[in-house]
Amino acid sequence: MTTESDARDELIDLAADFYDQFAAGRIPEMELPTRTKSNIEYDEESGVWTYGDRTSVRSANSVNGARKLLKAAFTIEFLADQLDEDRSSTLRELYYLSESWDNDEAQFNSQDESNDLVEDLEIVTGVTREDFHMRPEESGAKVMGPLRLREQTNRGDREIHCQLDVGQGGYQIPNNPDTIEFLDNDAEFVLCVETGGMRDRLVENGFDEAHDALIVHLGGQPARATRRLTKRFRDELDLPVVVFTDGDPWSYRIYGSVAYGSIKSAHLSKYLATPEARFIGIQPADIVEYDLPSDPLADSDVNALESELEDPRFQTDYWEEQIELQLDIGKKSEQQSLASRGLDFVTDTYLPERLDEMGVI
Amino acid sequence: MTSFQSSLGEDEGIAEELAESQREISIAEFFEKNKHMLGFDSGARGLVTAVKEAVDNALDATEEAGILPDIYVEITEVGDYYRVVIEDNGPGITKEQLPKVFGKLLYGSRFHKREQNRGQQGIGISAAVLYSQLTSGQPARITSRPKGQSDAQYFELIIDTDTNEPEISVDETTSWDRPHGTRIELEMEANMRARSQLHDYVKHTAVVNPHARIELREPGLEEPWKFERATDELPAETEEIRPHPHGVELGALIKMLEATESYSVSGFLQEEFTRVGKKTADNVIDEFRDRHYGRELAWSPPRAHDDRDVAAAVADAVANKGEAATTAFSEGIAGTVANNDRLSRSELAEIVDGVAETVADDTGKTFGGTVRENAVDAAWRAITGIGEDGDGAAGDGEDAENGDATESPLVPDVYALVDDATSTRKDDAAVRAMAEALARRFESLDGDAFRITRDDLERLVADAASFVAEQHDATFGETARENVVESLWSRARTVPDDPPKVRDVAGDRDSAADLLEAMRGTDILAPPTDCLAPITAELVEAGLRKEYDADFYAAATRDAEVHGGDPFIVEAGIAYGGEIPAEGSVELLRFANRVPLVYQRGACATTDVIRTIGWRNYGLDQPGGSGMPNGPAVISIHVASTNVPFTSESKDAIANVPAIEDEIELAVREAARELKSYLNKRRSMQQRREKQDVLGRILPEMADKVSEVTGRPRPDIDGALARIMNNVSLEREVDDGTVRLVVENHSDVNERLEITDIVSTEPTDVSDGTVVDMDGEWFVQWKPEVASGDERELTYSVDGEADFEVSVGGVETEKLTVNA
Repeated sequence: MTTESDARDELIDLAADFYDQFAAGRIPEMELPTRTKSNIEYDEESGVWTYGDRTSVRSANSVNGARKLLKAAFTIEFLADQLDEDRSSTLRELYYLSESWDNDEAQFNSQDESNDLVEDLEIVTGVTREDFHMRPEESGAKVMGPLRLREQTNRGDREIHCQLDVGQGGYQIPNNPDTIEFLDNDAEFVLCVETGGMRDRLVENGFDEAHDALIVHLGGQPARATRRLTKRFRDELDLPVVVFTDGDPWSYRIYGSVAYGSIKSAHLSKYLATPEARFIGIQPADIVEYDLPSDPLADSDVNALESELEDPRFQTDYWEEQIELQLDIGKKSEQQSLASRGLDFVTDTYLPERLDEMGVI
Repeated sequence: MTSFQSSLGEDEGIAEELAESQREISIAEFFEKNKHMLGFDSGARGLVTAVKEAVDNALDATEEAGILPDIYVEITEVGDYYRVVIEDNGPGITKEQLPKVFGKLLYGSRFHKREQNRGQQGIGISAAVLYSQLTSGQPARITSRPKGQSDAQYFELIIDTDTNEPEISVDETTSWDRPHGTRIELEMEANMRARSQLHDYVKHTAVVNPHARIELREPGLEEPWKFERATDELPAETEEIRPHPHGVELGALIKMLEATESYSVSGFLQEEFTRVGKKTADNVIDEFRDRHYGRELAWSPPRAHDDRDVAAAVADAVANKGEAATTAFSEGIAGTVANNDRLSRSELAEIVDGVAETVADDTGKTFGGTVRENAVDAAWRAITGIGEDGDGAAGDGEDAENGDATESPLVPDVYALVDDATSTRKDDAAVRAMAEALARRFESLDGDAFRITRDDLERLVADAASFVAEQHDATFGETARENVVESLWSRARTVPDDPPKVRDVAGDRDSAADLLEAMRGTDILAPPTDCLAPITAELVEAGLRKEYDADFYAAATRDAEVHGGDPFIVEAGIAYGGEIPAEGSVELLRFANRVPLVYQRGACATTDVIRTIGWRNYGLDQPGGSGMPNGPAVISIHVASTNVPFTSESKDAIANVPAIEDEIELAVREAARELKSYLNKRRSMQQRREKQDVLGRILPEMADKVSEVTGRPRPDIDGALARIMNNVSLEREVDDGTVRLVVENHSDVNERLEITDIVSTEPTDVSDGTVVDMDGEWFVQWKPEVASGDERELTYSVDGEADFEVSVGGVETEKLTVNA
């Protein structure tokens, strides 16, 4: 990983690039990979999906392009100063902070614009935004399980056991999980859970204790910190990872971003994605097998499923079979529909059966 | 179009009586009853109409004399009345002409003339004279000085409202400073509430008559309002044309028939109408015969297995010609007859004549008229089977239908035609019943030639159909009946009889109506168009330029088209921007034969057309995408015709005639396309200027920032700026399936470009480029060289909707602005 001074140097180098282009009588520009579904490719070596060869150019040739590059120059200055002073800020703070810049043209019009620009800078410099000391607004999710770790906080290092030292809510993942050092653990596997309600059910039923599971709450589309930590569990602790979500197309994308990386942050796939992560359920096959209460697929669900069939990340035999089955039965079910068989069904029957099938326990 | 029924003439006595009593209404009463139609329904409007009629007259008078018009209009208050004075520099007017021009309602040479003229109906100025007389009691005061005379003549004229006869009450010599011209002075009850319409009328007259000088004085104007001439060119002189056969009506036709010197209808048609030569006249006359005499139904000759024998029948009918000649004659007839699928009695008579001549040549025996007639009768009996021995006379009507009379010999022929004309789903019994019913009705036609007009045939078929419906419970609907009529009619033959003579047609309303229908039913070349004098696109634009201070002007003149028998031309002009107010809807100027139309805008075809055009496509704002567009624009539309169809006599609004509406739309769109390309260019100029402004501000700031961050001195950015400022632009315009790519080179060097357009449907009419088909996508490629400061248009056509993707090579990307 880059150090703080490396990060600063990369940013200054980018500014120097612009400078050199001006000096050579050229119009400054910045080349970025095209960030669309059609330009992500499977990287054989790392097993994750990253950007392909197609690139787009941000050039100061057009009014919009020039405004973007001006904003980039101002943002570079801000980030470099922040690193100099060893401070940090949130993405939202950057957006509001631009109001104080003395140039109207350089101010951001929306938070999306500033978020996108920071991502552009990550891609061009090869430095993650964590190393720019930029935090997202939302904190990472929570972990519960037999693991002891040490976290560097700005109030000093803390040793924490993720079962014994935490409350019912679990251990809060920090924005930059690379500040964590794993000490020792009794964990057998990692179970990533989509919804808060299901996580709470598993914790209440003592699933983490009974099976030595590290239960990671994803909370919808998982934050980068959550994905990064999951990857570290896999790579550093050599733990199998399974993902437990609702049985609908949107949840498959949550699994996809954990396992394969997301389209928006494909430049960071090698750092965030856990290609070994496997999908435990709810599978369309489970809806049939367990006769789960279900809702009919809406038109938007059908479209999402069809678009997934074309998504290179889902072009595996397993996913094609599951998605086609789901289109066939025309149904979707939530995780919590398992409660129709009783509150303990998920911990006593469903998960053990599935984990056994997958060879995890 | 008016249609005439043959029953119209029957009660002529009553019509005469009605006309008699109508004449007893005084002209004043007539005027009072119709003044809304004539444009005098209020004091405000009466004033405008009086000015309008007098000015129209003055313009026509000067132009006809080849003089550039110089017209003076003055309105003053005189006690409770208004005085209107209109002067022109025309040829003046003689005492003899005076009552005709100013005095008599509905008089005017133009009434019968087919020529583009302002007045067209001669109702206007005399109505103004009458209006002034009726409201103020004052006579019309007219001063006239014909060219070359040292003195002018002063007249006072009143109209006897009982007789509609004008009377000159004062006639004296006077002096006048104009070298020639006419001055008319009318006093009338009026008000100036319609001032804006008056101003519009005068201003618009100036727009559409750029060759005229007009001056207006009225109480509300501090300074006289003067419109100077924009051109010294008089409108082209119009040719008077003879009427077109498709454009006359029955009354006019009868008048022409009465007045013509021609003896035959063919001569009459060729003499009196435009576009009628011998061939067209023959076609009209065939149509006329069909309507006047009807056609003869044709029947198939007996076949070998029939027991009817033409040869034997003819031989029986011939006596004393010797066996050889008789045989030659009868066999000859039978042989020729057998060569025909069907034939009519007239055709049979022709055959008999022909064979008689041949046999006479061969044998020396003469077959005279009586013999021939007998032979025709005998052969015709054999062919039709009617009147043959043993067949019995054709039973008439009801008895035959209800009884069990023997089948008519015509049935097989009729059956074949009816069967052919009706759908296969028709029950055979119904078809047979129909054939039988028809055959019985044909048999009872007068004479033995089976002559019938199409109208009668339709009635006969309808009658037979209703009989069949009643008796056999089988319906022959309207379409089936039409098909049967068409099948019978198309196989019937036009008769060879000479058409009636002109004087007979003139004296018989029914015959005249037949002739009129025949004329309308014949395809005839459209009338010539040299009777029209369009303003020309150039002068339409000059007129707008003169009266509107705008940024942009465009105009279009369409080619002449024909509606009914009258040719017409539509012209349109658009002025945009400048001093034209930007708020509210655009101003619409409407003109008919160079006369501005000021009232009833909402009822006018021009307004309807403007409302239906999608103006957003042409760069004008149009709330809701239809209706009057908004913005700083003036649209002018001119319709010139020998007969402009108006919605009413006051001639305020052009009627919704589809042919004219189509041309109005095309003319307006033609001018609007120029507007669109002007607005597009202006917008792209604006965008370029904006881009230069913004980049000229942002790039130095960015340079400052990067020098600050890197800690180096400020870089020189002039090179980068220069590249951006001198750019090459590519714009796409798609209009009605035509795609235009416009390349503009604003750099200071010539550019060699490589432009590739990927199109989703097949392009046609590609301007000097190449097209390659790649799996349902077409790659259109051009390699134009565009000189510095120049522009180039690349065009092609696509059918319907298409997607485009353009790429441009051969020029540095930073110099390129693509908007396509």
